[in-house]
Amino acid sequence: MPSVILKDTKLIGNLIQKDSLTFDGVLTGDLKAQEIIIGEHAHIVGNLSADHNIEISGMVTGDISSEKIRLNSTAKIKGKLFHRSLVVDDGAQLEIAASTRKK
Amino acid sequence: MFFKSNIKNQDQVDGFSYLGESVRFEGDIDCKGEIEIAGKIKGNIKANKLKILETGTVRGTVQATHVEILGFISGEIQSENIHIGEKATVRANLNFENNLSVSEGADISGRVQKIKKEKSKKIEADNVKYLQHTKVSS
Repeated sequence: MPSVILKDTKLIGNLIQKDSLTFDGVLTGDLKAQEIIIGEHAHIVGNLSADHNIEISGMVTGDISSEKIRLNSTAKIKGKLFHRSLVVDDGAQLEIAASTRKK
Repeated sequence: MFFKSNIKNQDQVDGFSYLGESVRFEGDIDCKGEIEIAGKIKGNIKANKLKILETGTVRGTVQATHVEILGFISGEIQSENIHIGEKATVRANLNFENNLSVSEGADISGRVQKIKKEKSKKIEADNVKYLQHTKVSS
């Protein structure tokens, strides 16, 4: 069962999830899952790593690593990206270093 | 899943946060609303409503207005209302203010105590304000 964390929740610590995770809260720490969706109200300081897919609409400070990364227009990102495919929407605020993996 | 509906209301949160079966989390959780736990948590939890599902495991201190335990908990619970389900395993000290209910078959070992902590604090705070007010007016 995928997890959902709403914007009224604050977490301090590392979270590991085997399937999909939707996060809209405040986190200090690392996230690891198969698929991560970061909502508009999210505020994350820490590294994100997913096997398949990461979609971000909120604020993230830290390194992000996944096969696919999608940064929506409300995203604010500071950190390094490691990915195989990257999509950035119009309006995303970025301060990043990106590197594409080749297989 | 749930957060899409919250974009309409900026302050109010509909629904509850859910930590699934495959979650492992170490650290502190502070939730202003409702949270359900089906995974493994090690650390302290603060919430308004906390529900530990049958597959859920919590090790640490829990502070919540309402606590419902259907899974496993070890540590300490401070709450106004505690409900323990029939398949629950509790290895924790229970401190409750109003109600404690335990279903038949629950496995509990720990100290159980009724406390009146926050209410007496509130009354004292009101008295102080009242005295200050009368002094100013006279």
